Amino acid sequence: MSFPYGQGYPSQGTRYPGGAYGGGMAPGAPVPPQRGSGGGPAPGYAPPPGGPAPGAPYGSNRSPGAGGAPGAPYGGGGYFGGQAPGAPYGGYGQPQGGPYGNQGLAGNIPPGVNPEAFQWFQSVDTDHSGFISLKELKQALVNSNWSAFNDETCLMMINMFDKTKSGRMDVFGFSALWVFMQQWRALFQQYDRDRSGCISGTELHQALGQMGYNLSPQFTESLATRYSAHRGHSAMQLDRFVQVCTQLQCMTEAFRERDTARSGNVRMSYEDFLSAAIVRLM
Amino acid sequence: MAYNSPYRGAPFGSAPPDQAFLWSIFQRVDKDRSGSISDTELQQALSNGTWTPFNPVTVRSIISMFDRDNKGGVNFNEFAGVWKYITDWQNIFRTYDRDNSGFIDRNELKQALTGFGYRLSDQFYGTLIDKFDRQRKGQVAFDDFIQCCIVLQRLTDVFRRYDTDQDGWIQVSYEQYLSMVFSVV
Repeated sequence: MSFPYGQGYPSQGTRYPGGAYGGGMAPGAPVPPQRGSGGGPAPGYAPPPGGPAPGAPYGSNRSPGAGGAPGAPYGGGGYFGGQAPGAPYGGYGQPQGGPYGNQGLAGNIPPGVNPEAFQWFQSVDTDHSGFISLKELKQALVNSNWSAFNDETCLMMINMFDKTKSGRMDVFGFSALWVFMQQWRALFQQYDRDRSGCISGTELHQALGQMGYNLSPQFTESLATRYSAHRGHSAMQLDRFVQVCTQLQCMTEAFRERDTARSGNVRMSYEDFLSAAIVRLM
Repeated sequence: MAYNSPYRGAPFGSAPPDQAFLWSIFQRVDKDRSGSISDTELQQALSNGTWTPFNPVTVRSIISMFDRDNKGGVNFNEFAGVWKYITDWQNIFRTYDRDNSGFIDRNELKQALTGFGYRLSDQFYGTLIDKFDRQRKGQVAFDDFIQCCIVLQRLTDVFRRYDTDQDGWIQVSYEQYLSMVFSVV
């Protein structure tokens, strides 16, 4: 098999271990229910949720300031630990010692680090390594029903905020993540209109619409169903909401870069398609 | 599928190890004796040959491939698949890591992927190295090599589904593009 332009995909007879995707299942390998690959934006590519909202034609119904899009001022209220236990939005888990358990260290806050995030860092860094590992992050982040964040979202966030590329976060990265999560948590609460602790397909459609995305109800419903905490329903927890919105933002930017005429359609070569996804998302 | 996938079969496939051997490994890896191997347990058991922790993204990819009911780990039956999968990749990696350094360089990566049937530009190999070289050595370790191949395979599969005339180009709408990429990430 040959392709024009010198590009081609693997031809028949490729030597490859089975078990991955598509038709390549090894005998007995199941279809993965979640195709988790920890897709996060590239390190160093960590737009705050308040980044520019997508414009036409992907998002045409956004009025400035509408919907409290990310980046809107938030009251500085402590989502970390400021909640009464059992409140519908749990915030970060309650590490041992509580959020203010290390106030003696407050004098050593590195410049640029959010003081509240700094205190949380001490609690979350349970092995006192100076870094937050995936395991530590998972123990610190909870959904509104107190379930732990899923691995994919945690990996995505580490990829976004780990400037050292070591697979863990230092206090600066953690501080940035803390602000990022505050913003998303506020949005999640705002769009969870029925206060169920989950975002339904309808709520997701409204949320994305207000953020500036122009997506069909069918598409948003499919996202909410795929990332639902309960099979067969469309009910996304906070972790999946953050994951979906962040990935959507990266994909939209990749698409817009190529759709220079703003026609809503792009023509892409195989290698360009690979590059766009790998640079932005993997 | 619109057409046959190139990935059927595994000519590098190793013989299935015997059950008693696998069971002894499973018990050692399943540190908390839960009957299921978690990401953390598998990560601790795996070595990329360089004394750095095994790429957690690769671990997640592998577990999600074999974890049938999305329970966040693999049981003993599923572990047999995981073991074979990793062993097969190990054999492939060794063929290309000729000096046994634990890394393959850009040239070796190109040889490996060309051997799988990919035809990719030199510039694109630069992108791959840049993305999957977690240790910043200009080369790719075993765990990152697996992840690189998994990602390429998933993206290629979804591209092929849309490239119905197989000319290496697709024309897609915004939502189609999102669907494609969401099916991979």
